Amino acid sequence: MSAERATVPNVDQNPKKLDVRSILHFLQRFQSILGLIVVVVLASILCVRDGVNLFLNPINLANIVRSVSENGIIAIGMTLVILIAGIDLSVGAILGLTATAAADLMMHKDLGFGSTLVIVLLLGAFIGWLNGIVVTKLSIQSFIVTLATMSIARGVARFWSGGIGIPITYGDEPNLAPPAFSWFAERISGVPVPAICFILLSIIFYIVLKFTRFGRYVYAIGGNETAGHLSGIKVNRIKIMVFIICGVLSAFAGIIHAAQLSQGSPNDGNGYELNAIAAVAIGGTSLAGGIGTIFGTIVGALILGVLDNMLGLLNVDNNLQMVVKGLIIIAAVVLQKSRSNR
Amino acid sequence: MEKNLILQMKGVTKSFGSVTALSEVQLDLKQGEVLALMGENGAGKSTLMNILNGAITVDEGEIFLQGEKLEMNSPLEARKRGIAKIHQELQLVPELSIAENIFLAREPRNKLGFVNFRKMFLQAEEYLEALELQVNPRQPVKNLRVGEQQLVEIAKALSVDAKIIIMDEPTSALSNAEAEKLFTVIRKLKKSGVSIIYISHRMDEIFALADRITILRDGQFIDTVKTTETNLEQLITMMVGRTLTELYPLRQTLIGEEILRVKNLSFSPIDRNKKGLEDITLSLKKGEVLGIAGLMGSGRTELFECLFGMHPRLSKGEILIEEKSVKIKSPEEAIRNGLAFVTEDRKGQGLVPTRSIGENISLPKLKDFSRLMFMSKNKEKNAWKTQMNNLKIKAPSFDSLVSKLSGGNQQKVVIGRWLLTSPKILLLDEPTRGIDVGAKAEIYHLINELASQGMGIIMISSELPEVMGMSDRILTFCEGKQTGEFLREEATQEKLLLSATYKGGREENVS
Repeated sequence: MSAERATVPNVDQNPKKLDVRSILHFLQRFQSILGLIVVVVLASILCVRDGVNLFLNPINLANIVRSVSENGIIAIGMTLVILIAGIDLSVGAILGLTATAAADLMMHKDLGFGSTLVIVLLLGAFIGWLNGIVVTKLSIQSFIVTLATMSIARGVARFWSGGIGIPITYGDEPNLAPPAFSWFAERISGVPVPAICFILLSIIFYIVLKFTRFGRYVYAIGGNETAGHLSGIKVNRIKIMVFIICGVLSAFAGIIHAAQLSQGSPNDGNGYELNAIAAVAIGGTSLAGGIGTIFGTIVGALILGVLDNMLGLLNVDNNLQMVVKGLIIIAAVVLQKSRSNR
Repeated sequence: MEKNLILQMKGVTKSFGSVTALSEVQLDLKQGEVLALMGENGAGKSTLMNILNGAITVDEGEIFLQGEKLEMNSPLEARKRGIAKIHQELQLVPELSIAENIFLAREPRNKLGFVNFRKMFLQAEEYLEALELQVNPRQPVKNLRVGEQQLVEIAKALSVDAKIIIMDEPTSALSNAEAEKLFTVIRKLKKSGVSIIYISHRMDEIFALADRITILRDGQFIDTVKTTETNLEQLITMMVGRTLTELYPLRQTLIGEEILRVKNLSFSPIDRNKKGLEDITLSLKKGEVLGIAGLMGSGRTELFECLFGMHPRLSKGEILIEEKSVKIKSPEEAIRNGLAFVTEDRKGQGLVPTRSIGENISLPKLKDFSRLMFMSKNKEKNAWKTQMNNLKIKAPSFDSLVSKLSGGNQQKVVIGRWLLTSPKILLLDEPTRGIDVGAKAEIYHLINELASQGMGIIMISSELPEVMGMSDRILTFCEGKQTGEFLREEATQEKLLLSATYKGGREENVS
C-alpha cells in the first residue's frame, strides 16, 4: 500500500515535464533528419530568383545527388572506421591516387575497363590494409598512421603522373580509354550512376552493420575493445578489414571522380577526409566509437551537400561558405553531445 | 588531552548515497609518531584519509589540527596546512626533473618572475640529501626506480613543511631493499617531529614501524592500541571480527575428477602495474569451488589472465584440461577449451555499454547464432530469453541498453554471457564487488547450482567471509606466490589473512 502511495504522486507530479522530455527526446533522436528537412526547406525558400526556384530544379537536384555521392561513398567507409574508434585521414589522398591510377592505366598502359577497375580497387584495399596492419600490429593511433599514409598516397600519385592531371578521352584505339568507363558519368532513367552506386552501397552497408556478424563485431569493438577481445573476437582482424573496406570505398570514389571529370588528377580529393568526417559526425556517429549508423551518415552527407549547393546558389562568397560549414559542424556535434549526456 | 597531540578527528561520518562509508570514527595523532591505520578492504581507511587530505568533505564530525578546527575543501588547502599524502600511485610528472617535481607550481623565482633554477636545484639537493637519496635533481623522474620516486614524493612533502604525512601502502611496489630504505627515512622523519599515518596490510611492517595502531572495520572505529601492548592475533580478530552470516547457502558437494591442472605457471609482466607470478601449481575438480584469497596486487587476477590466454608470450608453465595438455594463446582459444572469465572490472573489461543486454549476452557465441554471415535473430532471442529468466535479470527487455542496469544486473549479464558458452571451468574475479546484498545472494545460489552441475569454479575474492562461505578449498596468494592452501573446514579468517599477508606464510606459525 505504502509503496503505491509513494509512486502515484510521482507520476502525477510531472506529466507535462514528461511530455516535454519525450518531445525533446524525439527531436534529438531524429535530429539529423530534422536538420536535413530544415536545410532543404531553407534552400527551397531562399533560392528563388525571378520567380524560378533554382534549388528545386530537377537538374540542380541531380547535381546535388551526384556531388553528394562521392563524399557519401567515402563517408560510409569512414563510418565503419569511426565506429571502431579510429579515424582515416588517407581517404582523400587515396581518391587522388586511384583517380590518377585509373586514368594512367587506361590512357597509357592500355588496360581495359575490367582490369583497371580491379587494379584500382586493389590499390585502395592495399593502402587500407597497410593502415590496418600498422594500427593493430604496431599499436599506433590511427590518426598518426593515416596521416602518414595520406602523405604517402598523395606523394605516390604526384610522382606517378609528374604532378599533372591525366585527361581521359574515350575510344577503341590504343591509348584511349574504353568507352565503358564513361558509364560512371552517365544517367540511368535520369538518375546519375554515381548516385545509384551510393544508394546501393548504402543499402549494402546498412545491412552489413545491422544484420551480419561482422557488424556486431564492429559495434562491440567500438563500444569496448577489451570486452570484445575477452569474448573471443579477433579484434585485429576485424579492424584491418574495416580499414580495407574504407580504402576500397575511397578507391571506388576515385574511379567515379575520374569518370566525372574525365581526368585523373593527383591533386584531387584534397580535404575530402574532412568532408567525410563531417558527414559522419553530423550524422550522429560518436567519434569515441561504438555508436552510429549508416543512415545517419547518409543524412549527414546530404545536409552538407544541400548546404554547399544552397550557399552556391545564393552566391555566398566561397570563403564564407567554409565558415558557415564549420559553424554547422560545431552546432551538430554540440547537439550530439547534449543527447549523449542524457 | 595530551599536549603533544597534533591531530584529532572526532565523530567523522561520511555516506556515499545509501552506503555509509564511515560512522562516528575517531582518530588522534601525536607529534613525531607513526600511527598505523588498519582494516580490511572497504573498512573505510581510504575514505578517512581522503577526508584528512581534503579530497572529500565530511557529513558530520570535526577535525582539529593543533587544537584549531580545520575546514578544508581541497588537497591543496590540506597541503598548505601541512598535511601531505603520498599516493599509492605516485603523482609525479615523469618527464620533468626531480627538482621541478618537488617544487611543482611553487618554483622559486627571481626578480623578473622567471624560475630561479639555481636556487631550485640547490634546495632540491638539500631535501634529497636529508632523505639519503644520491641522485642528481636535474634528471627526469622517469629515470628513477619506483622506490626512489617515492622518496621524491616525500621530499615534495617536506618542501611544503608537512607536519603530517599520510602513506597509503607505500611499500606495495617496492623491493625489500627499497622498503628498508623507506623505513630508515620514516624513522628519521619521526625523530625530526613529523607525524606519519601509515596504511599497510603487511603485519611485519606495522610491528616494525608503528607506535600505535588504529583499527577500522566496516566504517566503524574499533580501537586504538599501542603496538607494544598487542599481538598479531588480537589485531586480526579486531580487523575481521565478523562471523559467517547465513548469506552463504550450503551446497551438496559432489566433487568429481580433476578438470584443470596448472603446473609451475610463471608470469613475468612488462606492464609495471601487473604483478608477476612465480611457480603456481594448482588443481581443480569437477563440481569444486576453489577460492583464492589475497590482497589487491597479490597476483590473483594475473593468474586468471594467464589461464585465459591474455599473456601468451609472457607466461610459462603447463595447463591440463581434463588431463590433456593444452596451449592457450588467446581468449578465443581459452573459450574453445571450455574456460570462461568473469572479470573484476565489469565496465572496463566486461560490458559493451553502448549495446543492448541481448547483444552483450551473445557476444562470444555469435557464430552459433548466425547462418553464413547473417545473424539469425530468432535463435538468438530464444537464448536471450532463457538467460534473462534463468539469471532473473531485471530489465524492461533484452533490447535495453546494458549501461542502464544496476551493478547486480550488469554482473548477471556478464555471467549469462559466459554460461551461454557452456564452460567447463568458470573463473570468477570478485564476482560480487559493488553489488547489493540481494544480488549477491542470487549469485551465490547460482555458483552453487553451477558447481552441482559439475562445473569447476575458481573464485577470487577480497572478502574473506565470502571466500570461506563459498569455497570447498582455499588458496592464499601473496606477492605473486602461493602461500597457503586450506580446506573449508580448517580455514579461519585469521589463518587466511596471515597467510595472505606474509610472503613465507606457509612456514609462519600463527601463535
